[in-house]
Amino acid sequence: MGYNPVLLEIFKNKFSSVAEEMGMVLNRTAFSVNIKERRDYSCAIFAKNSDMIAQAAHIPVHLGSMPLSVRAAVNSIEMEEGDMVMLNDPFCGGTHLPDITLVAPFYFNSDKPFLYVANRAHHSDVGGMSPASMPLSTSIFQEGIIVPPIKLVEKGKIDRKILSFFLSNVRTPIEREGDFTAQIMANITGLKRLKEIFEKYGEDKVLLYSDEIIKYTGRITRKTIQSIPDGIYEFTDYMDDDGISDKPVKLNVEIKIKDSRMIIDFSESDTQVEGSVNAVRAITLSACLYVLRCLMPEGTPTNAGILKNIKVVTKRGTIVDAEFPAAVAGGNVETSQRIVDVLLGAFSKALPEKIPAASQGTMNNITIGGVDKKSGASFAYYETIGGGMGASAQNDGADAVHSHMTNTLNTPVEALEYSYPFFVTEYSIRANSGGKGKFSGGKGMVREIKVLCDVNVTVLSERRKFSPYGLFGGDKGCSGKNVVIRKNGKIEEKRGKFSCNLKSGDTLRIETPGGGGYGE
Amino acid sequence: MITIGIDTGGTFTDFIYVDENGSIGTYKVLSTPGNPAEAVINGIQKIACNRQKFIVHGSTVATNAILERKGVKCALITNKGFEDVIAIGRQTREKLYDLSYEKQDFFLSESLRFGIKGRVNFAGEILEDIDEEEIKRVIKKIQEAHVESVAVSLLFSFANPTHEQIIGKMLNEFGINYSLSHKILPEFREFERTSTTVLNAYVSPIMKKYISELRSKLFLNDSLRVMQSNGGSISVEVAMNESVRTILSGPAGGVVGAFEIGKVAGFDKLITFDMGGTSTDVSLINGKLPITTESKIAGFPVRVSMVDLHTVGAGGGSIAYIDEGGSLRVGPNSAGADPGPICYGKGKRITVTDANLYLGRLLPDRFLGGSMKLASERLEPYFKNFAHKLSMNPVSLSEGILDVANATMERAIRVISVERGFDVRDFTLFSFGGAGAMHALFLAKSLNIPRVMIPVNPGLLSAVGMLLADIIKDYSLTVMLRSGKTNFETLQNLFKPLIEKGRKDLREEGVGEKDMIFKYYLDMRYRGQSHEITVLFSDNYIEEFHYAHKKHFGYSNQDKETEVVNIRLRVHGLLKKPQLKKFSKKTTSSGKYARVSDTQAIFNSRKLKTTVYDRNLLHPGNVIDGPAIITEYSSTVILPPFTRLEVDNYLNLIVEIGD
Repeated sequence: MGYNPVLLEIFKNKFSSVAEEMGMVLNRTAFSVNIKERRDYSCAIFAKNSDMIAQAAHIPVHLGSMPLSVRAAVNSIEMEEGDMVMLNDPFCGGTHLPDITLVAPFYFNSDKPFLYVANRAHHSDVGGMSPASMPLSTSIFQEGIIVPPIKLVEKGKIDRKILSFFLSNVRTPIEREGDFTAQIMANITGLKRLKEIFEKYGEDKVLLYSDEIIKYTGRITRKTIQSIPDGIYEFTDYMDDDGISDKPVKLNVEIKIKDSRMIIDFSESDTQVEGSVNAVRAITLSACLYVLRCLMPEGTPTNAGILKNIKVVTKRGTIVDAEFPAAVAGGNVETSQRIVDVLLGAFSKALPEKIPAASQGTMNNITIGGVDKKSGASFAYYETIGGGMGASAQNDGADAVHSHMTNTLNTPVEALEYSYPFFVTEYSIRANSGGKGKFSGGKGMVREIKVLCDVNVTVLSERRKFSPYGLFGGDKGCSGKNVVIRKNGKIEEKRGKFSCNLKSGDTLRIETPGGGGYGE
Repeated sequence: MITIGIDTGGTFTDFIYVDENGSIGTYKVLSTPGNPAEAVINGIQKIACNRQKFIVHGSTVATNAILERKGVKCALITNKGFEDVIAIGRQTREKLYDLSYEKQDFFLSESLRFGIKGRVNFAGEILEDIDEEEIKRVIKKIQEAHVESVAVSLLFSFANPTHEQIIGKMLNEFGINYSLSHKILPEFREFERTSTTVLNAYVSPIMKKYISELRSKLFLNDSLRVMQSNGGSISVEVAMNESVRTILSGPAGGVVGAFEIGKVAGFDKLITFDMGGTSTDVSLINGKLPITTESKIAGFPVRVSMVDLHTVGAGGGSIAYIDEGGSLRVGPNSAGADPGPICYGKGKRITVTDANLYLGRLLPDRFLGGSMKLASERLEPYFKNFAHKLSMNPVSLSEGILDVANATMERAIRVISVERGFDVRDFTLFSFGGAGAMHALFLAKSLNIPRVMIPVNPGLLSAVGMLLADIIKDYSLTVMLRSGKTNFETLQNLFKPLIEKGRKDLREEGVGEKDMIFKYYLDMRYRGQSHEITVLFSDNYIEEFHYAHKKHFGYSNQDKETEVVNIRLRVHGLLKKPQLKKFSKKTTSSGKYARVSDTQAIFNSRKLKTTVYDRNLLHPGNVIDGPAIITEYSSTVILPPFTRLEVDNYLNLIVEIGD
């Protein structure tokens, strides 16, 4: 054994607590609800070759996507002590434009950085064609401002020119600046804590154990893969459409397992589409990491040790590896869920006792924007809605909860009515929406909001046509439903992805999908 | 007249009492989990005989009813269309990577959640009336289902409680137990308010039964009060109707004890460290009791004021093992009391306690005052075997186990101190609980905390805290006012009904006007934020808020509009409390006469001659340099080589950390 099991555990603890403390600072100091309440952020520590060592992520969609950002930053800019580089370009290490990453080098009496710290946060507006920057777009240029790797902080000082250029391109500049400050504070905290650790243990030991932690996760990854029977497992599922045409979008995966090796191949998936559901490769990696993490023991550190031991094959220009200038706003939130569905579908053939039926497979993204008649202030409200989880060999799927790649909190009815010209008329569990089976799928939800002034509504949702699958004889879960009830009682059924105007007194009703059932 | 503090714990029920002459006594009996009142009553009778008693009790009855899911059958009445709010919760899952995740269910089957007509908006305006006929039908169904207790939680009930009040009155007419959300927690966020109300409905009838039994065994002129989670005591009447306020009863006693004892000894900035067999509680006292309104119990939110504790799963019984990636882990699994650590005679897996014993830092003959002999001879094969597997020697393994356990506890302390912007060098680590003082000095060293304090009777601190607690009552109300649309006077007026209520409640508890202290707070935020921070209410409260925001979060924004979300009133009713006995300090001396023996203990891989002292023989002014071991009935203090201990005027042990 080249390492000491005591020090390994202590360094595991140290590194993850640095990442978590960065997250605490980001959460506490952030301005926007998106970061504070929805916890749409993550923090991590990286080796000098951009291998991730430790990460604190509150929603899995961030799992695999940061290393590519850090690599992009490190490769394109030489960072000196006190610098921080920001970026969001999905085709250069990012995921979708609202996710902005900030990378800082860690120097310790040295010419070159020993490590990097980074954090990523979802900013609730980065410009583009619609408020909240989650549009039904057809090109990246409609989605907001694109930031290639660029120094936001130079030698400890914010570059006001860059900042003001950025802020001029977004709808909520004060909030953005507040969130940037929080991101900077988070990195500063990370650097400070690393310094303490280096001072206490010395650079050799810290670097040795940062490497050992990656190997540790690698060992667990290989053991996990070994526990899966050898074979080739394939699965195909479809997204309803891309929001522009009616054509379903195919996602296919083939997983090859031999002993402790695994190849995950998405090559047979459809080519990228016109609408905004394209996923860049970083998102596909996140989905793979998420599924593996579910199969690994609780508490295993997420780091480069996982991806070093699996091979993920994607074809450039496909729905799971989109190329510039594809629209990608929804890839992060919707396509990521379907990638998980096909991965789990394939694994269910190898591990029937462990893998559940499909969960709701969407995040039901709702944006409502308008001008409040009473105050004259404009507002943009964004939320996502949970649904049913798939049933497993052990139990029924959970009702009314966010599944897989997200885990964001709802907005309380009372908070909503205080802050927006909305009146909530129903918030309930959707009866009979879970797929039947030996174990039933979890039930979806109903959220019904009456608007008290004229607004524009954009909904980005999935599983309105193709229901969440059941497994081993279990029924499918109910597909979701989007409905507008006009003030005069007229009911309009809407598509999965739509944008429309509502008049004061109209009601938006969202019924989210149920999970699939398991067994007969 | 005798004053008694009673703390019911998992294994023992602890008593501490003071009589007319100021002399203090302690008493411990085995708890009687089947009926906790039994141990309490036996103890009281033993201690007090026929004297008049003033009792403050820390009760786990409400806590255990929730943890063991043994509350009464409940129903919920809420708005139509919102019956599932309690089941949806915040739509999140507690475990991110659990593919067969199951939600905690809320002791409320779907058929017992009733939605009724009637809506109030955020301004308290009634948009739709309730229908009393409908409610009568619901009550009939509730009776038919043999429901024992009903929670009523309607949207915006805190802004206008009329509907809840009408329903409460109707339930009362039918003789049904009920809890109204605007009374339990008049604050916005419907799920958390409903959760708190439902838990209250779930446990209150059980608490009622328990207290009635206790009272039937006391005399009419005896006084019985219950410790509540916020660090103050309440009358039994309140405890019976608002039992949800008592779920951190015992731990709150510990924090109050630390606060009061620390204050008298001259330390008002403390980090409390309570290490038990399976878990460790820490809290941070910065000149006042730490209070939070964001607690959870068994996964359910409880938003009433409670002492702010952080708990981690590491304790003396935590088991060491090698995980599948080859890392040495300690806990969260614990050997518990059965089979217990290897040295208790039956266990087969190495625990933290075993590691301490293996290093000679625990004395097999002096554990629990010598009443339980530790089987040190059992350790060798287990340690040899385990160390061999890791290519380590047993001594480094033992030290490694303690290092890993300490790292977990260190992290817990960092979460409540460093991560909240406090500098630990300003604080004293206040160690209590059975296992605390074996680890406290090492923790202080690695965290750079300069000093550790160990009180008298560290194992009975919760009971001591109950003797020292005032009456504390918390009142709150969501007002949601933008700073631009309100001013000092408006807010003052909004406080008036709360003050009235506080004064009335305190008078009913027998507190005179001159013994009442009122403290005013506001929960504020920048408009658009979703988290509030609590600031003192003063005529420049907005400035206070900017300042507090800057202190907590590193920035403030004078131009941004602020919002007063909740107003909070905290009322203290000062009680006559026993004084801590002060001794005069003799000249500094070595405490030689307290020496029991010499032993060999291992520190930093070196075997050192270590002197053993009996704490009961130490006097104020005694100074002891580490390495040393101080034993007493319920606890062992390990002084590593880098420490120096002095006994203060109250017989507390004050240990300075050196290099």
